[in-house]
Amino acid sequence: MNSEDRLRRLLGGLDAAPGFEERVMRRVAALAAAPREDLRAQFERRRELTRRRLRRDAWMNGITLLGLSACASALLWRYAPEVQKLATDSMALMDPGLLIGGTLAAVGAALWFLIRQSRG
Amino acid sequence: MPADDAIIALIQGGRAGEAFERLMPAYRRRVFGLAYSLLRDRGAAEDVAQEVFVKLWQALPRYDGRAQLSTWIYAITRNAAISAMRKRRRLVSMSDPLVFEEVESRSAIPSTEPEDPALWRQVEALPDKQRQAVTLYYQEERAVDEVAAMMGLPVNTVKTHLHRARASLATALRVAGMEVA
Repeated sequence: MNSEDRLRRLLGGLDAAPGFEERVMRRVAALAAAPREDLRAQFERRRELTRRRLRRDAWMNGITLLGLSACASALLWRYAPEVQKLATDSMALMDPGLLIGGTLAAVGAALWFLIRQSRG
Repeated sequence: MPADDAIIALIQGGRAGEAFERLMPAYRRRVFGLAYSLLRDRGAAEDVAQEVFVKLWQALPRYDGRAQLSTWIYAITRNAAISAMRKRRRLVSMSDPLVFEEVESRSAIPSTEPEDPALWRQVEALPDKQRQAVTLYYQEERAVDEVAAMMGLPVNTVKTHLHRARASLATALRVAGMEVA
């Protein structure tokens, strides 16, 4: 027997266990019989859980952002003279046309991103 | 697919219950096969397949025919299987890494002994997409385009996965001295 036939024999019988459809129908029947209030309560419970999760995520994002900002500020504070010197030196070396072009491109990209975000 | 047309006609006629009764036997193996190909665990695949059909029962009256019925069902199945996979990983990641490895390796073992264990091991050793393509293709001698629809991939990509999988399997079996033709 070649590998094709062996694969057919090996995987051909792959199916759910007997009685699968009856099990699904039992679940469906139980769901259909559940009173509307139960469904409503379930929905409310899930909504509350989602709300709590989103609130927790928002806090975590805020704390992360705050931490990163604090780190960045500390670094900037610590290396302020070096940063200032680097910026001044770079500006002096840079072609004004290139600087304006770069700024415009950055502003354009930011605007494009914002517009896309507001549409999506 | 003619069976799909009949099911859609029933849904559009407001007979979602009857449509569901026809849909389940028509899609049972495909939904189970797709879930199994992603989860590699019969029990988990059966749970996901049940969950998919319950979801379909709930959503069928709202099916608007914008997507093909099969595409819609496969997307629901893939999402449910991926959620189950994430849930399993999340549960396991909270425990010991050794336990994680144990669970992952156990999930690849079929609940019943396969009749060709050597070939089974080779199939299990294939990269995920190749294993998935092979499982779905040989489960019911499906057309490649249907396997592609089930996996949510382009037909040519699935052909490539199948070709590579066959080549790997042939080589592995030859090396093991088990290939006949």
